[in-house]
Amino acid sequence: MSSHREAPEISKDPVADSTDVYAFVSPKNPDMVTLIANYVPLQQPNGGPNFFEFGDDVLYEIHIANSGKGTADISYQFRFFSQIRNPKTFLYNIGPIASIDDPNWNRPQFYSVTRIKNGKKKMLAKKLACPPVNVGPRSTPDYAKLSKQAVHKLGKRKVFAGQRADAFHVDLGSVFDLGALRPFNEAHLIPLAAMDGINSVQSYNVHSIAIEVPIKEVTRNGNVPSDASDAGAVIGVWTSAKRQKSRMFNDATAKYESKGPWEQVSRLGNPLVNEVLIPMADKDKWNHTAPRFDSRFARYVNKPELAVLLPVLYPGVFPNLAKYGKDRADLNAILMTGIPSGVVPGFQNYTGPVESDMLRLNLAIKPTAKPNNLGLVAGDAQGFPNGRRIDDDVVTIELRAIAGLTLPLVDPSFTPDGAASAIEDGTTNTNAKATNTFPYLGLPGSGYDTTQGKTKAS
Amino acid sequence: MICEALTAGRPGVKAVELVTDTSRRKLLAAAGAGAAAGAVALAPGAAYAAETRRSGSSAQESVVAHIKDHRSGTISLMVGEREVVVNDRDLVARILNAAGGK
Repeated sequence: MSSHREAPEISKDPVADSTDVYAFVSPKNPDMVTLIANYVPLQQPNGGPNFFEFGDDVLYEIHIANSGKGTADISYQFRFFSQIRNPKTFLYNIGPIASIDDPNWNRPQFYSVTRIKNGKKKMLAKKLACPPVNVGPRSTPDYAKLSKQAVHKLGKRKVFAGQRADAFHVDLGSVFDLGALRPFNEAHLIPLAAMDGINSVQSYNVHSIAIEVPIKEVTRNGNVPSDASDAGAVIGVWTSAKRQKSRMFNDATAKYESKGPWEQVSRLGNPLVNEVLIPMADKDKWNHTAPRFDSRFARYVNKPELAVLLPVLYPGVFPNLAKYGKDRADLNAILMTGIPSGVVPGFQNYTGPVESDMLRLNLAIKPTAKPNNLGLVAGDAQGFPNGRRIDDDVVTIELRAIAGLTLPLVDPSFTPDGAASAIEDGTTNTNAKATNTFPYLGLPGSGYDTTQGKTKAS
Repeated sequence: MICEALTAGRPGVKAVELVTDTSRRKLLAAAGAGAAAGAVALAPGAAYAAETRRSGSSAQESVVAHIKDHRSGTISLMVGEREVVVNDRDLVARILNAAGGK
């Protein structure tokens, strides 16, 4: 997946597990940029009575690098705390929740927002209310209203933190069954009948932290850039989750207590980097490492294991890729440094030579009226890997890039195999439809309306 | 900087605060290490147990002590959102002895 349960340690700590990061110029207001970090993966909506929520003991952050050093020049911090209003009930709610301050909601969660710039902290707001999860038509009869109430304005900024529908689509069941892509099953080393992909994330929820801020708040020059060739027009974005170094079970309170400095346990910039490129033995270290030290992991990007596996798993399908022995400068540019000027006409999102996994967004490129979910490789420079929009099909984009489709951008001597422009996992976006207003991700599915899957043993 | 609570009558003992921003470490004013020693049940008769008094800046909350390497003389104290690293072979030895039941 993009980064759902992607490393051994964080897979056991869902509330700190970042799943996706989105960064795009706000479609209705091109002077604003929207940043979204999703956490708590694969939430089955009916998972009560203790429904999903953010971790009160986790420090969530969205970072912005704008000075070309791969460091967090600006960070937004989010800290949560939960309450139990009625200690005598086992219920999440004791009646319909008509508003986000409804006393029927027994387990409300609140949060603070702090901005850090040049090492100086400024709390922007505290005790902002999250919405409840979407329980069902009796408990949360007007969920759209609850969602709307949970969008808070902080001056020109907007912020939201709460449950949403996951927007990512991928065929996990097939991809992790020896790299199988169902539409190409017949060409696999262990062939099966071809079929459409199955969107494994469909109907699952996540917890989203979304913030919309003025572009001039995040650029190095404090302006709204209009020249796409301007180095100051590009920002790098990533999220991190931190836990305090020590966690101890207090046998008197029957709760965990945390002590000590904050340590990064999860981070995410570009989709699928830790998921697919970093070997299992290094995934936890990668999650603990700040992006500016990513040269330690560059070899995994430059010679990706998946690019070696594709010709093995699909014999005869990727002969040119199989013969390519040089480092993948295309992937290094896309994922580690940004694409410099001169590679894609009229486009760059280069942040300098410091190798760091960040989602890079050129803010001078304004939203297009007709977005293409294959983004830059399809000629839509407003989409991934120029930032990432909700509907961008990052699985297909990255599969094709790894298969060699983007190699000629930096090595004209390479001719991509025919399959490189066709490879996909066969899923389409069957998730909840994105909204056209902040926070953009679709409303979360309700517990009551969840339907069961079917168990089938191979 | 050397913590007064520890250095009183204890030459060579240093306590520093470790800022683990995964990238940089700063040595800052240290505090609270003396109080942490009180959290460990030390063997009766240990010289410092009788002599050490809490300073005015001692920690006023629970503290977690961590000896990462029993062969070193370093102990980390987790307090609030800070980590205080104390280099004190004697203190470490007393805690290890206590942990071993002696």
